[in-house]
Amino acid sequence: MSDLSFTENLTSSDITIEGTVGKVVAEDAKMSMRNVNVFYADKQAIKNVSLDLARNQVTALIGPSGCGKSTFLRCLNRMNDTIPICRVEGELLLEEQDIYAKNLDPVLLRARVGMVFQKPNPFPKSIYDNVAYGPKIHGLATNKAELDEIVISSLQKAGLFNEVKDRLDSPGTGLSGGQQQRLCIARTIAVSPEVILMDEPASALDPIATAVIEELIDELKEKYTIAIVTHSMQQAARVSQTTAYFHMGQLVEMGKTEQIFTNPVHTLTENYITGRFG
Amino acid sequence: MTSSTLIFVILFLALFSYWYGMHRSIKVAGGVTKVKQLVSLPRQFGLLTALWCGIPALIVLLLWTVFEATVIESLLVAKLPQNIQEMTPSQLGLYLNDIKIMAQQNLGEVTETSEQIKHFAALEFQQLNLNAAWLKSAIIFLVCLSCVMFIVSRFRLDYRARAATEKITLKVLMACSGIAVLTTLGIVLSVLFESINFFSEVSPVEFLFGTEWSPQTALRADQVASSGAFGAVPLFVGTLLITFIAMLMAVPIGLMTAIYLSQYASQRLRTVAKPMLEILAGIPTVVYGFFAALTVAPFVRDVGESLGLNVASESALAAGIVMGVMIIPFVSSLSDDAINAVPKTLKEGSLGMGATMSETIRHVLLPAALPGIVGAILLAVSRAIGETMIVVMAAGMAANLTVNPLESVTTVTVQIVTLLTGDQEFDSAKTLAAFALGLMLFVTTLALNVVALKVVRKYREQYD
Amino acid sequence: MNRTTTEKVVKSLKQRHRKEKLFKAAGFASVCFGFLLVLTLISDIVIKATPAFHQHWLKLEIDYQQEWLGVDSLDYEKLESADYRKVLRRSILAMMPEVSGRQDKRSLYKLVSNNAEFTVRDALLKSPEFIGKKKNVWVMLDDDVDSYLKENTEFSQTGIRISEKQAGWIEQWYNNGLIDKQWNTEFLTSGDSREPELAGVRGALTGTMWTMLVTLILSFPLGVAAALYLEEFAPSNRFTDFIEVNINNLAAVPSIVFGLLGLAVIINLFGMPRSTPLVGGVVLTLMTLPTIIIASRASIKAVPPSIREAALGLGASKMQVAFGHVLPLAMPGIITGTIIGMAQALGETAPLLMIGMVAFIVDVPMGVTDASTVMPVQIYLWADSPERAFLAKTSAAILVLLTFLMMMNTLAATLRRKFEKRF
Repeated sequence: MSDLSFTENLTSSDITIEGTVGKVVAEDAKMSMRNVNVFYADKQAIKNVSLDLARNQVTALIGPSGCGKSTFLRCLNRMNDTIPICRVEGELLLEEQDIYAKNLDPVLLRARVGMVFQKPNPFPKSIYDNVAYGPKIHGLATNKAELDEIVISSLQKAGLFNEVKDRLDSPGTGLSGGQQQRLCIARTIAVSPEVILMDEPASALDPIATAVIEELIDELKEKYTIAIVTHSMQQAARVSQTTAYFHMGQLVEMGKTEQIFTNPVHTLTENYITGRFG
Repeated sequence: MTSSTLIFVILFLALFSYWYGMHRSIKVAGGVTKVKQLVSLPRQFGLLTALWCGIPALIVLLLWTVFEATVIESLLVAKLPQNIQEMTPSQLGLYLNDIKIMAQQNLGEVTETSEQIKHFAALEFQQLNLNAAWLKSAIIFLVCLSCVMFIVSRFRLDYRARAATEKITLKVLMACSGIAVLTTLGIVLSVLFESINFFSEVSPVEFLFGTEWSPQTALRADQVASSGAFGAVPLFVGTLLITFIAMLMAVPIGLMTAIYLSQYASQRLRTVAKPMLEILAGIPTVVYGFFAALTVAPFVRDVGESLGLNVASESALAAGIVMGVMIIPFVSSLSDDAINAVPKTLKEGSLGMGATMSETIRHVLLPAALPGIVGAILLAVSRAIGETMIVVMAAGMAANLTVNPLESVTTVTVQIVTLLTGDQEFDSAKTLAAFALGLMLFVTTLALNVVALKVVRKYREQYD
Repeated sequence: MNRTTTEKVVKSLKQRHRKEKLFKAAGFASVCFGFLLVLTLISDIVIKATPAFHQHWLKLEIDYQQEWLGVDSLDYEKLESADYRKVLRRSILAMMPEVSGRQDKRSLYKLVSNNAEFTVRDALLKSPEFIGKKKNVWVMLDDDVDSYLKENTEFSQTGIRISEKQAGWIEQWYNNGLIDKQWNTEFLTSGDSREPELAGVRGALTGTMWTMLVTLILSFPLGVAAALYLEEFAPSNRFTDFIEVNINNLAAVPSIVFGLLGLAVIINLFGMPRSTPLVGGVVLTLMTLPTIIIASRASIKAVPPSIREAALGLGASKMQVAFGHVLPLAMPGIITGTIIGMAQALGETAPLLMIGMVAFIVDVPMGVTDASTVMPVQIYLWADSPERAFLAKTSAAILVLLTFLMMMNTLAATLRRKFEKRF
C-alpha cells in the first residue's frame, strides 16, 4: 500500500486526476457504464469510472499494469462474480438493461457478452467439440446438421477453418498458440454474442500470430461490439476506434484513437504514450 | 552380555574414542599451542576416531545377532545322533523346539533314556549359548580396539580428518537410503521363496483357477474336508466384491465432496470440513472393523430382514460399506489435488461463455482432471484390496463363491490372517498358502500403484 | 440472429439452473454425509464405551473365622495362603440365609467376581487384627451382574447370563443399599484378563509404548538420513531413481505384507523372539519409513537454495551445510512427518497379528523383548470376545487409542501451522 501511494505521489504531485478528460459518451452505445466502483475487500480497484462501448466499434482499454483495466473488463460480463471478495457498485447497462440487476441471470449475460482471455485456453477436447461447447450447453442447435453449420461458420469467421478442416477431431490443445487463440475466438462467437471482451488476447503470441489476430478483430467489429484490453499501444492504435486510458483505477482520458495517440489532453496520458512510464 | 547392553557399551567406547582421538591429534601437532599446524580441527579427529570405533562394531553386532540363532542351531544338530539328524525338517524343528524349551528350565537329573539325548542336547545348547555370548563380547571389544588403533596410527599433521569423516558419513547416509531397496527385496524374496515351496505342493493352476478353498488339512484321514483344497478363486471374487462395494460408496461421495469443497464451499465450511476428512482418514482400521462388525453389520441385517431379505450376519455389504467410508477421504483428497491441478483459465473460459458451474465442472474440469482421478481411484482400489482389519472383523471365513453382496464372502487378506495366526508348524501347505496369497496381493497392489503413479505423473506433466 | 440466440438461451435456462441446483445439492449432501459419518462413528463408540467407565461393587460383611481360614497362628505367610474362598462363600451365605441347595448356592457365588477372594485376603492382610472378627469389605461384582445393573434390561437378554433367581437376589442387595457404583480405575491400571470386570489396558498401553519407542528410535534417524542423502547428495543416476521408485511403491504396499516379511525374515530367518515389541517395532519401522522419508524430503526441498549457497560461499563443506543449516531448518517439517508416521504405526494392527502379537498376555511387559500386545490388537481381541461387558471395554479402549491419535495429529497440525511458509 505504501509503495502504491508513493508512486501516486510521484506521478501526480503536479498532475491531478479530476474526473475524466475527453468524451466518454457514445452516440450509439451498446453498453454504457456510469460511476462504476469496484472493491476487493477494502481495497478500491476501480474509482468512479464512466464510459460507453459504441456499437460495432472496437474500444481499447490501455494503461500501465495494475491500473484496473482488466478488472473493469471483467465487470462487463460479471466474471468478477467468481471472486467472493469482489464488490461492484454503479450502473452498468447492456442495451438499457442493468447487468447487475438481481433478476438478471449471469448465464444469459455471459452468452450475450463473450470473453476471450489472455492465455489461450482451449478445453481438452477436439477442435470441433471446443467450438460446439457453447452451442451445446445453451441449446442453440436442434440437430447435428445445425451444430455442424455453427461450428464451421464460427471457424470460418475466426479465420481458422482452412487450417483445421482436415483435423476437426484432433485435440484443440495440439494447435499452435495463435491457432489456439483463434480457436478460443471461434468458440466465443459460436454462441453469437453481442459483445466480445478481449483481455490482452495477443500478449502470449508471437508477432505474426498477433498480426493475424489483429486483422481478425478488425473484421469482427462488423458484427460485434468489441472491448479490448491491451498493454501494447501500437495494437490499440491499429485495431481500435476509441481508446480509454486508465491510471490507478481511474479513467483518465477517453476519446478517438487518433486523437489520444497524436494529441493527448491529459499530461498522464501523454507521459504514458510517450513512454515515460508504463 | 546381551545385545542391548553391548550397544550401550559400544556407544560409551565411541564417546571415549572421541576424547582419545582428539588428544592424539593434539599430541601429533605437538601440544595445544601448535594445534593450528593440523589441517583439520582436533574435534574432527575425535569424530573420526569415534566413527571408526562405533560403526564396524555395530555392523559386527548386527550380523552376529542376525546369524547367531541359525549358526548355533546347526552346531547343535551336528552333535545330535545320526538318526535324529535324518528326520524331516519339520520333525527336526519340533525336536529342536523341545530342546530349547528344556534349556530354559532348570535341568535336573533325567532317568528316561529317550529323554537323555534331549537332556544332553539341552545342556549343550546352554553351553553353546554361553560361549556365543562370551565370544560376541570379546569380538566386539577387539573390533573396537583394533579399529581405533588403526585410525589413530594414521594421524599426521596433514591428515584430512574432516574429509575422511564426511566420506564415512556419506556412506552411512547412502546405506540408510538403501534400506527401502532392502525392504522391497526382503518382501519379494520372502514371499516368493515360500510361494515356490507352496507351488511345489499345490499346482499353480489349481491355486489360480480352482474354485474350492478349504485349507484345513485333516489330522485324521476320516475327517470331513480332509482334502485340503487350495483353489483361490472364491477368495479373489470375494475380495473384488467387497472392493467393488467399497468403490461404489467411496468414489461418488469422495469425488462429490472434493468438487463441492473446492468449487462451491465457503472458506468457513472448508476449514471445518477438512479436519472432518482428516479424522475419517486417521481412524485406525481396527476401529472401522469394530464399527463394521458390531454396528453396521447388524444394522444391514435388520434392514434386510425388514425388507424380507435373507442377509448373512457377516455380509459382504456391511464390510464393503465400511471400507468405502474408510476410503472416502483418500479418494476425496487425491481428487481434490487432481481438480486443483486443472488451470484456472479453463474454468474461466467455460464460465465466460455462460456455462453454469455444474456444466463447467462436468464438461471441462472433470474431463481435464480425469487422468488424475483415474489414478486416485486405482490407488484407492489397491488400498481396498490390501485392507485387512475391516474384513477380518466384519467379513466371513467361509469361502463362498458368490457375487451376492448379502451373503458372506471371504477375502485374500482374511485368509492370510486366518492361516497364519494360531499354532501351527511353519512349512505345512496351509501356512505356505498364506505366502502364495501374499504374493498375489503384493503383485496386484504393486501393479495398480505403478500404473496409477504413471497416469498421475503423465497428467501432471500435461499442465506443468 | 442475436434475438433468436437470446430466446434459445432463455428457453434452456430453467432446466439448466435446476440441474445446477441438483448438482450442488449432491455435493453438499456428500459433505454432510461425511460429517454424519464422523458423528455416528464417534457417538456410537462413546455410547458403547460409557458402561466401561463404572463398575459395581458389593458390600459384604466378611467373617474372618479362624476355623474357616484354616490357620492357627497369625503368621503372615500362613495368612497369605489361607482359604479365603471359604470365608467369602460362608459370608455371602450368612447374608443370604434363605438360599439352599447346591445349584442355587453355586449361582449365588457366581455373582461376585473371581478376584473377590483376593480382595478379601488383601483386606485382612492389611489389618490382621480383624482375624476372628467381622469386617465390611467391598468386592467387585461379576461382569454379567455389572452389565445387568447398567442396562436395566430383561434378565434373559443375549450376552448377559443372569437367571431370574439371580436377578431377584441382585435386586434385594440393591434395595438394601449394598451395591455401589464407582469409577472404574482398574481399566487403566490392570492388564488383560479373561474376566471382563478385571480386564484393563495397562498391558497393551505399555506394549504400545515399547513398540512405538523401538519404531521411533529406528525410523527417525534412518528416515532422516535417507531423505538427506536423496535430497542433498544423491547423484541423479539409475540407482537413485530405483531407490525413489522403491520408496514410492513401499508407501502403498498393504501393511499385511510387511507382516509376512516380519514373519518370514525377522522371526523365522533371524530367529528374533515372537510377539515382542522389538519385532513389532522393526516391522512398523519398515512400514513407516516411506512416510517419514517422503515428508522429510519435502521439508528439505522447501529450504531455499540461497541458504545453501550462502553457507557454501563461506567455505563450508557440503556435509556441514547439510547438517548445520539445511537439517535444522527442515526439522519442523521432518518432525511433523514423523509424528504422522508414528500415528499411522500406532493404529496399525494387521502386520502385528502376523508376528504373533495376538497372544493373550496378562503381565505388563517390562522391556522390548517381553511378549506383549498393543492397543489396536487388544481392541481386536476384545471385539472378538463374546462376553457382553467386553463390548464396553473394547469401545473404551478405542476411545483411549483415539485420544492418543488425536493428540498426535493435533500436535502435528499445530507444528505445521506454526512453521508454515517461513521462507
